[in-house]
Parts: sequence; structure tokens; C-alpha cells
Amino acid sequence: MSFREKSAWITVISVFGCFGAYFGAIALGYINGRGADSLRLLTICAVALVLVQGALHLVAVRTSGSADRAHRDEREEKIIARSHTVGFYTLMVLVLLLGVPGHLGHSTPAMLNFVLLDVVLATLVVALTQIVLFRRGG
Amino acid sequence: MTDQAFSLPIANSIRRLRFEHGEMTQADLAQRIGMTRQTVAAIEAGKYSPSLEAAYRIANVFGRPLDQVFQWVGDGSAKTDGSR
Repeated sequence: MSFREKSAWITVISVFGCFGAYFGAIALGYINGRGADSLRLLTICAVALVLVQGALHLVAVRTSGSADRAHRDEREEKIIARSHTVGFYTLMVLVLLLGVPGHLGHSTPAMLNFVLLDVVLATLVVALTQIVLFRRGG
Repeated sequence: MTDQAFSLPIANSIRRLRFEHGEMTQADLAQRIGMTRQTVAAIEAGKYSPSLEAAYRIANVFGRPLDQVFQWVGDGSAKTDGSR
């Protein structure tokens, strides 16, 4: 597995774990998605995301050859470009869908959480697309 | 979905040429053309078509003309040394 495929897996695992905890807590009713509790949990999740990504990337660096990490070659550039295109269109669709909770009368903090969820989902789509393309060969 | 579904219309002889050149590894070839080993593996398996520049780099490593390394075989029927 190349360093960049490992990096995509790290993104999937860390983003899913950290923001899954945040949105899971809101969805299950442990916090109400607004106020100090929500902000505190969001801050903890964001810091955890940075720490988990940093730690896992250190492991990936140690277990990958230097040639893998040296530079992106043309295939990797194409895969990354295609994954960001898919992620962009995913984000566009999700942004348009924000109209649904907007029309249902959700509060501003709830709408901000929906916006954050859109960004998280688009990030996951980018990373998952990279994994699929790396596995497929390009 | 199988690998065959992603086969490209360009076959190549990279695997055979590598072994004719002192059993050159994919990593060695990758280093010489400035790519990753995974990309060389994908090209060799017919899963990725390299750019013209990369194709010429590969041909130059083996000292062969381009058409002895890569061959057009038509849509969806690419065969490589590894799949023949």
C-alpha cells in the first residue's frame, strides 16, 4: 500500500471517528447541538482529529519507503484531482440539500452543524474515492 | 467488478523487458522513470495508461522503440505479459 493510500485511509478513520463521535452525540441526544457543551465537544473532536491524524501519519511515514513519499507522480496527481472533483460535486449537492432543514425551521446552531456535516461528508467522499482509485490502479 | 473491466486498450511488454534486463524490479524501474512502484505495477497490469512522456521514459530505460514496449490492441482487450 502506497503512502498516499495510507494517508487516505488515515483521513477516513480519523474523520469518521472524531466527527462520528460529535454527530453521534448530537443524534443520540447526549448533547443538544448548541451552547457550551456542543462547542466543548466540537473543540475536543477537532483537537483529537489533529492528534490522531498526526500520530497515524507518523506511523505511515515509518512504514513507507522514502521513494513513496518523495513526490506525487502523474497517476497519483490524477487520482487526487479526480477525487477532489467528486468531492466538489458531492459538496455542491449537499449544500443544495441544506435547503431542506432550512425550510423545516432549524435553528442557526443546527444549520451550522448541518454545514459542518456537509464538509465532513465531502471530505470522506474525497478520501474514499482516492482509496477506490488507488485500489483500481488509477 | 473485476480487473478485466478496467482493462485498457494498450498492452505492454514491460514485465518481459524487466526480466530481460537483469530481472529489474518494479521499484528499480520506478526509480529510473521517477514514479512510484505502485504506478509501475498499475501500468504493467494494464490498469493505467501512462502519459506519452512516461511511456518514452520507460522505453528509453529498456533501449527499445515505443511500439516494442506498448501496443495498441483495441478497446477492452488489453493483454500484458502478466495476463497472457
